[in-house]
Amino acid sequence: MTVEKPTMIEFRDVHKYYGDYHALRGITAKIRAGEFFSLLGPSGCGKTTLLRTIAGFEGISSGAVMIDGKHMEGVPANKRPTNMVFQSYAIFPHLTVAQNVGFGLRRANLAKDELARRVGEALEMVGLKGYGARAAHALSGGQRQRVALARALILKPKVLLLDEPLSALDKKMREQMQVELIKLQRQVGITFILVTHDQEEALVMSDRIAVMFEGEIAQLADPETLYRRPNSKKVADFIGTMNFLPAEILSEGPGGIEIEAQGLGRVTLAPDQAPGAASGQGATVGFRPETLTILFEGQPTAERESMGTIEEVVYYGDMTYYDVRLDGTASPTRISMRNVFGRPVLDIGARARIAWSAGALVLFR
Amino acid sequence: MKGGGFRIYAICYLIFLYAPIIILPLFAFNDATVIAFPLSGFTTKWFAEMTTQPALGQAVKNSLIIAVSASVLATTLGVFAARASTRYDFPFKGGIMGLIMLPLVLPEIIVAVSLLVVLLGLGVNLSILTVILGHVLICTPFTIAILSSAFQSLDRSLEEAAYDLGETAVSTFRLIILPLVMPGIISSLLISFTISLDEFIIAFFLAGTEVTLPVYIFSQFRFPQAVPVIMALGTILVGMSILLLTIAEYFRRRGLARSGAKDTGGFL
Repeated sequence: MTVEKPTMIEFRDVHKYYGDYHALRGITAKIRAGEFFSLLGPSGCGKTTLLRTIAGFEGISSGAVMIDGKHMEGVPANKRPTNMVFQSYAIFPHLTVAQNVGFGLRRANLAKDELARRVGEALEMVGLKGYGARAAHALSGGQRQRVALARALILKPKVLLLDEPLSALDKKMREQMQVELIKLQRQVGITFILVTHDQEEALVMSDRIAVMFEGEIAQLADPETLYRRPNSKKVADFIGTMNFLPAEILSEGPGGIEIEAQGLGRVTLAPDQAPGAASGQGATVGFRPETLTILFEGQPTAERESMGTIEEVVYYGDMTYYDVRLDGTASPTRISMRNVFGRPVLDIGARARIAWSAGALVLFR
Repeated sequence: MKGGGFRIYAICYLIFLYAPIIILPLFAFNDATVIAFPLSGFTTKWFAEMTTQPALGQAVKNSLIIAVSASVLATTLGVFAARASTRYDFPFKGGIMGLIMLPLVLPEIIVAVSLLVVLLGLGVNLSILTVILGHVLICTPFTIAILSSAFQSLDRSLEEAAYDLGETAVSTFRLIILPLVMPGIISSLLISFTISLDEFIIAFFLAGTEVTLPVYIFSQFRFPQAVPVIMALGTILVGMSILLLTIAEYFRRRGLARSGAKDTGGFL
């Protein structure tokens, strides 16, 4: 980690009501200058509403939104140092590509050739060099997306807001645009804030992610921490796949937490393996499918091992997913194994030795 | 048999609809005062004779003034109402919009009689102005219907995008909304112009001494020698109506194409 960057956006206890509906429930967070930040959550969690409070399209009921140290209360959308890429792209259909991209510069009263130069630069940046004279309504989805990006970035905003910009593209195009967006963000150095419901997209693109449920930020962390140390079962469930087994806390001290987990036995966890606050619903350990390994005949004994019976096999080509019932557990545990050449795919009903490591466990309590 | 029966029905239906209209140009160019077959010869004298009747000229002038004023007023009101009803929520919206659209289904004679009673009761003199008033009333529902579909197909985020890029509410309306609904506005102007130009009942009740074209035509039928001239006039009117409606439909379709929306019907 380098030196902490200055704060670009700050939410201070932001609340938003639509009539009786409490859409944002006390959002407090800081977004750093120059970072690629994602708001991730299921639909209806308030992520788009939060984004729109930054743009100025939604007012807030209480609290404060600050952009670059300035209070945004009473500042309308057209006076904020932010620009937005809309989910529908909102390309003006009656204008050409160049007129769309240069739209925001209209008020700057630039000379004709200066305007053309800057529009040309912006189009080149998004890979649409030479498209200026085309009619906007004749573009493909991916091209519209690029025009929307160029149009927003030409004003050199402090913050670029992206409202599910990739959701309308097909899978291949989406993956390509993800990479391009990351490159573009590094190139321009502007703070990007992305709203998405796609956890994979958020993990791939973001420096940091805020996971939102029901108007609250459940966890704000970098992708790796979010994946490896989710602070609640809900976050763990939303991001990737996680296995859960009931556990019992035996003792807790400065040296760690000793637990007895079903199917795994006695384990001592480091304090950072229990990142969440106590929920009072009893203890559970969670672990990702790829942190377990099935040991094949002849492989040496691992430090921690459990026995189990294979209940389901799902073959994916490069991977095989096994649902294994560890001895002494009530529900199957999912294990993902890379299909190394020459290694057999096990059958349903086979007994297997499962190796795991204590460091991969997360404790929820 | 299934297809055949329907085809015969459709052909009869179209003949019933359009045969009388075909009669118009037929006799407009026929060299006889009596409207009867067989046709006696080709002439354009009836068209020439139109120019010699000052009362006809006055009626045309009145009709044009009324139609232009009514269509501009009705379209302006329609823009406000359509924008408000598609963009904002306000109390009693359904009821208010229903009341505005009511003249669409109300018998015109009822509208005409009640307007006449109210205007006379208020002591207003009948003139071109009162006809304009009546025509605005019956045209506005049409303009709202056309313009609502134009405003409805407008993506809300287009406005937000313009606003986001530094424009004010007023300049956003001018630069984005107005150009995108312009085809709707033009088609609304043309359709209300046509409605007003053809309208008879309200014009007959409210015009006083300043008759409009349809009223003039009706009054001329008392004189048999004037009928061929009316036929010629009718031919011109039919031609103009078709032309205007075609232009209106063209603009409506172009508007849909430009905003990328699906064609959901319309008037034609």
